[in-house]
Amino acid sequence: MSLTPLLRKIFLVDLVKGLKVTFHYQPPSEAITEQYPLERPVIFERFRGQPRLNSNPDTGESLCIVCNLCALACPEQLIVVKGERNPATKRKEVVSWTYDLSRCMFCGLCEEACSTDALELTQDYEMALYSREGMVLDQAALERGPEPEKYAK
Amino acid sequence: MIEYIKGYLSSGTTPGEAGNLFWATVYILLVIAGVSVAVLCMNWLERKILAHMQIRLGPMRVGPHGLLQPFADALKLLIKEDIIPHDADKLVFWSAPVVVTMTAFTTFLVVPFGRTHAVTDMNIGVLFMLGVSSLGVLGIIMAGWSSNSHYPLMGSLRSSAQMVSYEIAMGLAIVSAVLMTSLQTGTGTLSMIGIVESQASQHTWFIFKFFPLGFLAFAVFAIAMVAETNRAPFDLPEAESELVAGFHTEYSGFRWSLFFLAEYSAMLAVSSIAVTLWLGGWMRPFPNLLGGPTWDMAFSFLPALTFFVLAAGCFLGTIRMPKIPQFRIQTIGLGTFGALLGFVGLVLLVPAVSVRIQDIYWFVVKVAFFMYLYIWYRGTFPRYRFDQLMKVGWKVLLPTGLGVLIATALWGLMPQLSAALTGVLQ
Repeated sequence: MSLTPLLRKIFLVDLVKGLKVTFHYQPPSEAITEQYPLERPVIFERFRGQPRLNSNPDTGESLCIVCNLCALACPEQLIVVKGERNPATKRKEVVSWTYDLSRCMFCGLCEEACSTDALELTQDYEMALYSREGMVLDQAALERGPEPEKYAK
Repeated sequence: MIEYIKGYLSSGTTPGEAGNLFWATVYILLVIAGVSVAVLCMNWLERKILAHMQIRLGPMRVGPHGLLQPFADALKLLIKEDIIPHDADKLVFWSAPVVVTMTAFTTFLVVPFGRTHAVTDMNIGVLFMLGVSSLGVLGIIMAGWSSNSHYPLMGSLRSSAQMVSYEIAMGLAIVSAVLMTSLQTGTGTLSMIGIVESQASQHTWFIFKFFPLGFLAFAVFAIAMVAETNRAPFDLPEAESELVAGFHTEYSGFRWSLFFLAEYSAMLAVSSIAVTLWLGGWMRPFPNLLGGPTWDMAFSFLPALTFFVLAAGCFLGTIRMPKIPQFRIQTIGLGTFGALLGFVGLVLLVPAVSVRIQDIYWFVVKVAFFMYLYIWYRGTFPRYRFDQLMKVGWKVLLPTGLGVLIATALWGLMPQLSAALTGVLQ
């Protein structure tokens, strides 16, 4: 047996090394904790959160043309779009639009399939609710988009 | 009556020696209150320091920087449901936390916070402390046995095995320090105050005496005392990952908080043994190197300075608080706390107070260093396996302690031995 490991053991070199590491981590500026409701994380542009149905900002009309591509793309089949042809404008218009958030895995396939950029997964992530019913979003809720509650003490 | 109360103040001894019942009661109450406050502070400091070592923030919400967290915890524990398991041995289950807490507090009877700042000066002080604190094992075994459950039983068995085996190494280290007290006078002492006084008369702390023997004995004690108090890395009796919580698994609410109190006051007690035996008790550092009235003066400002630094830290915290309405109360609270600390610092500047507080201050600073070490160890070291624990205890610490004891005795007898040797040679 060589002498060095024995000496290391006797003088507790490894333990002292460990103590040094934890000692240097002590200044609170090193802490990576985020004080959540006060400090918010940086959300990346491509983050997929709560869905929103966009409407034309000029006219306020829904951008959705009821092509049903999103419903077909959805692996969970949680999007149900029903539409009816409007004889006056000769365009299909939305009758009912439901999006079941409780089954959504935010894969973003619906967003990619949308040909008019009507459906968009926003960067909002605060979707917790008290009841399951609220997870099924209808057209009105989708067009309103995410409305996160403001944190108040 | 007034004469009786006043009479003690001029005696210059501990209330126990002076036989003054009134002051003894006052001292006991002060010590119990002081230890309880220290445990509250330790609760906050441990969570905070441990969190910072693990790159977290720790409690931040209850009060400014979580300063009110211990109080919130205490309140929660007091109003929590107190459960006694159906199959538990009720009487033993009930008395176990009482035994543990009582023994932990009783040890403080002989701790000398200063020449006159001890409840009493027992001539068997160290022995008393060791004896009473090892009675705590009994409480732990009672808790584990009476719970009538697997994990507590395992925890208490581990605890008893560990405490019994580490007590021997601890005792040997203590005996070698007690041997050193006999060097000048020829008769050693077990009295805690006597030990500190003999360090004063030998002009050295025992940790530096007979280098490296004093230091080795101290190291053996420092390791054994961590094991003795069941703290990381020797916290097998309450290993969370294996035994839920060890011997106090079945305890809840107030009973559990008694165990908590007992654990931390036992830590304080063994730290104060270490401070008394090796680190010069209430004496200030460098009395030889930096002696003289000027340095005495400088050192007497340190207690006040400590409080001023703490107050400054609080004010810095108030400045750095987020400037939003939700934090107004917290900011005001922190500012008030800082002002309070500053006021205490000002009081400590009064000469009459600072003279009396000097020795308590140095004792508390030294104990606080040990408490920091406890937290530091917990933040760093992984837990030992049980066989490793026993190996360290019996195969490393015990022989080292024994060797140090013999070497100390021989070194102490050096003059006589050399005289005898020269006598034989001539």
